[in-house]
Formats: sequence, C-alpha cells, structure tokens
Amino acid sequence: MTDKTHDSTVVMDPSERDAAMSAAVTIQEKALTPGPDAIHRAELVVIGSGPGGYTAAFRAADLGLQVTLIERYPMLGGVCLNVGCIPSKALLHAAKVIDEAEAMAVHGVVFGKPTIDAVALGEWKNQIVVRLTGGLVQLAKQRKVTVLQATAKFHSANRLELDNGGMVEFQQCIIAAGSQSVRIPGLPDDPRIVDSSGALELYPLPKRLLVVGGGIIGLEMACVYNSLGVEVSVVELMDSLMPGTDPDLVRPFLKIIKKRYDSIMLGTKVTGMHATVPGIEVSFEGKNAPIAQVYDRVLIAVGRRANGDKLAADKAGVSVDERGVIAVNKQMQTNVPHIFAIGDLVPGPMLAHKASHEAKVAAEVAAGEKSAFDARAIPSVAYTDPEIAWVGLTETDAKRDGIEYEKAHFPWAASGRALSLGRDEGFTKLLFDKASGRVLGGGIVGPGAGDLIAEVGLAIEMGADATDIGRTIHPHPTLSETIAFAAEAFEGTLTDLYLPKKR
Amino acid sequence: MADHIDIVIPDLGDFEDVEVIEILVGAGDSVSREDGLITLETDKASIDVPAPASGKIVELTVSVGDKLSSGDVIGKIFVEVGDTLLVTPAIEAKIAQGDTTVMSSPASLAPESVGKQTISVPDIGDFSDVEVIEVHVSVGDEVNVEDPLLTLETDKAAMDVPSTAKGTVESVLVKVGDTVSEGSPLVIVAAVDAPETATETKPPEKTVTVAAIVPAEKAPTSMSSQAQGLPAINEAGFSKAHASPSVRKLARELGVDLVQVKGSGAKARILHDDVKAFVKKVMTGGAAMPGGGMPKVPVIDFAKFGAVDLQPLTRIQKISGPRLQASWLNLPHVTQHDLADITELEARRQELKGPARERGISLTPLAFVLKACIAALKEYPKVNSSLSEDGLSLVYKQYYHLGFAAETENGLMVPVIRDADKKDVYELAKELAELSLAAREGKLKADQMQGASFTISSLGGIGGTAFTPIVNAPEVAILGVSRSSLQPVWNGSEFKPRLMLPLSFSYDHRVIDGACAVRFTTFLSKTLSNVDALLQAIP
Repeated sequence: MTDKTHDSTVVMDPSERDAAMSAAVTIQEKALTPGPDAIHRAELVVIGSGPGGYTAAFRAADLGLQVTLIERYPMLGGVCLNVGCIPSKALLHAAKVIDEAEAMAVHGVVFGKPTIDAVALGEWKNQIVVRLTGGLVQLAKQRKVTVLQATAKFHSANRLELDNGGMVEFQQCIIAAGSQSVRIPGLPDDPRIVDSSGALELYPLPKRLLVVGGGIIGLEMACVYNSLGVEVSVVELMDSLMPGTDPDLVRPFLKIIKKRYDSIMLGTKVTGMHATVPGIEVSFEGKNAPIAQVYDRVLIAVGRRANGDKLAADKAGVSVDERGVIAVNKQMQTNVPHIFAIGDLVPGPMLAHKASHEAKVAAEVAAGEKSAFDARAIPSVAYTDPEIAWVGLTETDAKRDGIEYEKAHFPWAASGRALSLGRDEGFTKLLFDKASGRVLGGGIVGPGAGDLIAEVGLAIEMGADATDIGRTIHPHPTLSETIAFAAEAFEGTLTDLYLPKKR
Repeated sequence: MADHIDIVIPDLGDFEDVEVIEILVGAGDSVSREDGLITLETDKASIDVPAPASGKIVELTVSVGDKLSSGDVIGKIFVEVGDTLLVTPAIEAKIAQGDTTVMSSPASLAPESVGKQTISVPDIGDFSDVEVIEVHVSVGDEVNVEDPLLTLETDKAAMDVPSTAKGTVESVLVKVGDTVSEGSPLVIVAAVDAPETATETKPPEKTVTVAAIVPAEKAPTSMSSQAQGLPAINEAGFSKAHASPSVRKLARELGVDLVQVKGSGAKARILHDDVKAFVKKVMTGGAAMPGGGMPKVPVIDFAKFGAVDLQPLTRIQKISGPRLQASWLNLPHVTQHDLADITELEARRQELKGPARERGISLTPLAFVLKACIAALKEYPKVNSSLSEDGLSLVYKQYYHLGFAAETENGLMVPVIRDADKKDVYELAKELAELSLAAREGKLKADQMQGASFTISSLGGIGGTAFTPIVNAPEVAILGVSRSSLQPVWNGSEFKPRLMLPLSFSYDHRVIDGACAVRFTTFLSKTLSNVDALLQAIP
C-alpha cells in the first residue's frame, strides 16, 4: 500500500475543514457542469489528483503555470488518501492499540477485552480522509488550480476529451493516473470478495478472512483484521511473504504472525472460489494446500497494475507498454516531450513518496527549470506489526547484481528502548561499500521501522559513511540509536554489544 | 454554396492584441483551406492564421503592425462551391445561410504544420545563456541547409547557427542581445523538403478538427536529456558521485556532469563550490591564456594622474583581442621585409582605372597584390597550409581563400574572398569593394569571415614604411603592405626613380623557414613587376 503522510501540508481544525468542504463543493459544482462543447484551456493539465498529481499541480502553480487538475472521483487525493495509505494507517493504529493493551497483561497491566464498534471505527477513518482531502481542495483553491471532475482521455497531443463532453486544450500535460488492483479473472461476483479498497470497509466484521497474496498490501490488512479478532489466513503463490524483500527482514514478522494467524500457505495456489451461502469456498493446490476452506471474506491483493493504457495515450503519440507502464526520462518526459508521466504508471516501485518527488521534477521541468529525478534511494515500508522498512541496496539485489558489500547488524534485543517497549524481535542492518565505507542501503524491522528508515535514506543521499553515522550523536534511549550502533558495528567501535574483532 | 465569407481571427487562447508580422497573401490570390494568410506574433510564438476554406481572397483589411484579437475580421474570402468549411458545429448552421462569419479552425494554429520547421540552437557544448550577436536572416528570406541564420557569442568564440532546412524564413524568434541555450527555438522555416523528423513529432491524428494550441515558449521540448541544453551527462557515474541532493540539483541546473568534478570536501565530497568552480573552468578553459603563468601587466589607477573616460571595448575588439594575443603567444613570429617594384604596374593601373570605373569597378593596387599572392601561394604551397592540431603534420589547403584586414568603426575585421584563384583582377577588385563596404556597415555574414587560408593587411592607403603584422592563426603567414614611394633604384649603370611597394611578410617559424619566406617575398615582388601576367584573364 502506498504511503505518504500529509500532516505537514494539511493542518486544519474542524471549522476550517467545513469551510474547505463547502469550497470543494463550490469548485466542483462549477467544474462539473461545463457545457457539452466547453473547451477549457490550460498551460498545464494534470490527470489524476493522487499524491503525484496534486503535488505536480501545486508545484507547477507555485512556479507560475496556469494549472488544471482533472480527477475522476469527487474527492481529491487519489487512492493514497481515499482508499490506500491514509485510511489503512488509521486502522493499523487501532490494531496496534489493541495489541499493545493485550501485550501488557503479562506485565501487570490488564485491560478488559475490547469491544469493537466497526461502524464507529470506520467513521473515524472516514473523517480523517475527509479532513485530508478537504484540505487538498483548499490548497488547490489557494493556488488557483482549476479542478475538474471528469475522466480524461487524449484526443491529440494537445487536447483531452472529458467524459462529461468537455475538452481541455493544453500546452503541457502530466499523466498521474496511478494504478489499480489487479483483478483475478473468473472470480464470482460477490460482495464478500474485495480488493484493498473494499477491505477498508470493516463492517460487518468477518469471522474468517482469507488474504490472497502475501505482499505488503495484503499483510497490512491481515494485521488489522487479526487484531480486531478475525481469524486470518494468507495464501501466497511464491515461497516467501513479501517476495523480493530480504528474507531476514521478513523472518521476525513471520515468526509473530505464524502464532497469531490461522494459516500461512506459501507456495500455494488458489484453484477456485465459489460463493456459497455460508461464505466463499476456496480450493487450493500446492505442497501445503489444505482441503477447500470457507471464508466469509476474501481479500484479493495480488498486485497493482499501471493505468497508463486507460487514457488513449496513443492519440497523443505517447508510448505505453503492455503492462500499462509509460517510459520516461530523468525529466519525467514521455517520448512526447511536452507530456510527462509520474507515479505508479511509470517504471519503479508504486509508492506515493516516489510519485510526489517525480511530480516536483515534472512540474519544474514543465515550468522551464532544469530539474531531474536524481534520488538514489526510495524507501519501502510495510506497516505491518512489526513494521518492516528498507532503503537503498538490499542484500537480495546485491547478490543478484554481484555488488560487493559489508553488512553490519544490530539486534534490538540489545536496545534498552526496544526492551522497554516489550519488543525484542527487531533489528537494524546497514550495508556498506567495502572500499569507501559509504552506506549503500539499510533495513529495519520492528515497531516504528518506517520512521527510523528515513535517517538511513538521508545518509545514502548525503553519501555518509559509517563514521558519519556513528559519530552523529543519537538520543538515548531511542530506537534511532540502533542505526548508530549498526554503523559502529561496521567500524568496530561498538560497545553495546560484544563482537569478535573483525580486523 | 459559393459565398463571400469573413475571415476571422480564431481563438488565440489568452492572447490579445497580437501583432501582425507578415501578410502572406493578397487580394485575388487563390488559397487552399488551411493555407496561411497572415502571421501573428505573440510574445511566445508566431502563429499563422489559416484560410477557413479554399477559395479566392477578396480582400484583406489588415496590415503589418496591426494588433488583432480573437474574433477580429481580417478580410473576406470567396469560397468555392463544395468546399467544406472549417467550422465549429455551433456556428455551422449560420454559415449555411450565406454571408456569415467563419471561425478558422484552431487546427492550423499548430506551429508545426506540415513543412514548418523550428530551428533551434544545436549542441553548443557546455555553454548556456549564450548571446545572440547577429541575426543574418529576416522573415521571407530564402535559406538553404547550412546557411548561417544567426551568430552566437560565448566567452570563447562566436559561432554561426546554420539552417537545418531549406525553405523560407517564416519567423525569427530571437533578436540581437537575446540569450539562448541549446534547444532554444530560433527561427521557423517553411521547409521545402521537410525532413522526416519534422513530421515525426506530430500527433498521429491529422483530422482537421484536431486542435493544438501554441506551445509555450517555455514548453520543455528542449528539456529532454537528448534534446535539451544539458550536455551529455554520464548518468551511471552521476548517480554514484559523492554529492548531496542539493549539489546534484545545482549540477543539473548548470548541466554539469558530476563525474568530471573533483570534490574538495572531506573524503572527496563534491561541494557546491566545486560545481561552480568546474563551470568557471570550463567556460574560461578554452580562452585561457596559454601563458597563464605570465607576469601580469601592473594595474594602475590612471585617474590618479588625470581625468579618464572608461569606454568598453567594442564587441569586435573583445573577439579579436584574445585571438590576436593567442596567435602572438603561440606562434614564433618572424617578419621578412622586401620592396616590390610596381612602377609598371601602377602605370598600367592608371590607364585601366578609368575604363574600370565605368564598369563600376574601383581598380585598387590591393587587387593586384591579391592576384600576385595567389601566384606566390601556388608556388609555395606551404604558405597556404596550417599546422595540424597535434602539431605533427601540415594541412595543405587545396583552396585559396584570401582574407584581408578591413578597418571599421568597431575594430578590425577580416572579410574573406573565396576561391580568389578563380577570379581575375577586376573580379577581385569588385569583391574587395563589396566586402569592405559590408564590413564597414556591419553587414558581413559569418561565412564571409571564415575559411581564409592566407591574409593580407594593407595599410598602404594610410602610410608607413614597414610593420610586423600578426599571423591570423591557424594560418601560417600574413602579408603586410605599406605605402609605396618613389625611390632611387640602381639599375646597374644609374639610379632610376622607381615606385617601390614595401612588403612585410610575417610567418609562423614552426612551419616556414627564413629561406622559404624570402623566396616567397622575392617571387611575390617579381610577380608584381609583371603586370601582364597579373592582368591575364581567368580561363
């Protein structure tokens, strides 16, 4: 699930939010009713208002371009804000509170069993979404960005056709139309079979949930449902969870969920699903395949597909590959230089924070600035419990590409702060260039790993080496110390752990 | 349907009061639908207003310089029967009724209508924000591929931007004084043979209803890493350079390949200052004085000694100064002096001068000197050569393009007479006069100042007995000519008054030795004495 927090850009109290919402209505009502032959003109048009699209639109507006932002849904923010990162994080927070309360029982703080009001919980989650998306409308208004609610398709290299009959003539365009969940063909059409968006609607809470796909999105929702008391099973075609992630990072998480989940079926294929009255009957095939099981909800989370081929981009001369992906250069330009593409529908990981950075590059280039996407590392985070985060070089990639590296590892079992959180399963690892000592990558597993990984990202971008990190004083006692300790472990100056002399 | 229809300015987007810069047709002209009628120029681009239909222009009611906005009527067209009008559905109904108003389709507003080619600044190395110092073409000029369109001047050199298309200049997007970078659009040419690339960039759909508004000047067509001002960057190396994101951003802005920058920070980290220093080095590198370690001329505050007036060097002085210094410092100069007896030549010239003037030709002594030089250069081809870049071989030129120093208000210029060996004295004299005039008027085209294989500097019109001209490197020699004077010459039995022309022949001693030089001047003197040979017509 793509992630980005917007607290820094959107801070509103409820009264402001109401104003924003009414502003939203005004803007959109105006925009919603263009005449059938209305031709709208824009110096820059942005298709899609997710973290990539709105960032591009706002940055371009700040640089003086006259911008139109087109969004097919009534709410700005795209998948991330509406049915992705943000609402899922609200639910994950609830899950965390439940789990931590329960975990304290053995240490002498005993709560009663929680009552879950799935409707109220869902309402809280929705309020967060409304507040953020309302904030976006306000930000668009302040920047005089015109927002149109419509589905856009290219008509030519300088014109978009809208499904409401309107037209937008543009000088430049940024395609930020994102991705969508991959559907498995042939599944019964049943409300109990949902994708990641549907999984965010908790009510009615199922008793047994099957998550098809052991990737990040599926496992995050598995965590939520499990904490809410649902029996969760995960089925994954590959032999590991979060395929592609360094196995050591996944292992502590796997150990925990093995105890908590009904079953984790790796190397297992779903061979059929039938809607029956008591639930969805699912049959499996593979070495650990059980007999057919019945679940009252099935989450399909087998990946996302780029939306690049849903825009008639060929009419503008823009090349799109068979996976819906649009190739771009470092300036985020497609093969048609005045048309840019960013976010999930260009190569690279489908992550909100990648999209927003690409967005700024595209907007700057569109405004005539010399800008390029030069980031060296894009962090990835699974907001599971424990969180798993990594950035830069992974051991998996290093081995595949034959890149020499040296690993330094610090187990959280030696961190006072981790122990006082009641969590000792995590660790921090850093990968260094043997010759220069510069940090190439890092991985962290444990509570708060997603926040901690930012420091490693900064270190990579700044070209820091182990000494730079180790000699930076980290506050004690924090989990951030574990990054400094890992660096010290590489240097041989670590005192919080006894490591045999390496040289 | 055959009707008189008003021709109306189509929707111009946000532009108003757009100036008419050219009228492309006149009353009575037959035009096809979408033919350009007039050209408008906004501050961003120029736009042709297309004919709304095929037909005959009845009248055009605008002239160059008029300011127009969307909806203004610019004339009438008599529409041929059966022609489909370019109309939007909303107003189609009205047209059917006869004398009505037709909106031209914005379709043809696209600047890249078939055959139109925008010529941009080509790869100019590491330079950006280069000044346009001369524009050689204007709207309506016919240009061929490789014709110089304008001249740019960097710190290092002036360079011509050649046309990449053959056709008519539709509009010139820059003026003298503008700064441009690689990829900046300069001139739009209505190409006769549009190269395929011109059509490649067009959207695949070509129906007349396709609307395309004019791309903004800052449209990033010039920003792709292939086509833009950024010089080629080693991306693989760039992505590993020891430089923080802010330094990388600066490097992108300046187009600096970080691979080539040496970091001065801790652990060879590249700092902002390193990037800036690198750019400075590149910009000044080629122009750096070879004797960088030379003792400097003392800096004096002249105002201490009396009133002073600070006048900037002219552009030409700024260009020629470093070149002269480079030649003076790089080439071991030797000057050979000689006197040529031009008594007979001058007598004949006086006879021929009058008839020549009737043909509009001013038959100057210099024309004869040029003619004699050609003969001498053919006899001593080394003088018509250049040293190869590595200094290991000689480049013998098979052509004879003669430069001649011309004094202008702004400074020294050296126009070039091409293929001087194929021209007789009269033609040389004529071209001398034309090029001198052009030089004085500042109208020399770049190709009229390039390609000389030997240069002549004549100061004889002013005076002097001898001087030591500086070779116009990479040429290897230059002939200086001073004022001729009557001198007593011993003919074996008595002194006779002879008209003697002083020659000062400076040469690059790395290429030409003293014996060769004096043979050259001796040959030249002898040739100048043989006026009949000089007057021979070119076969």
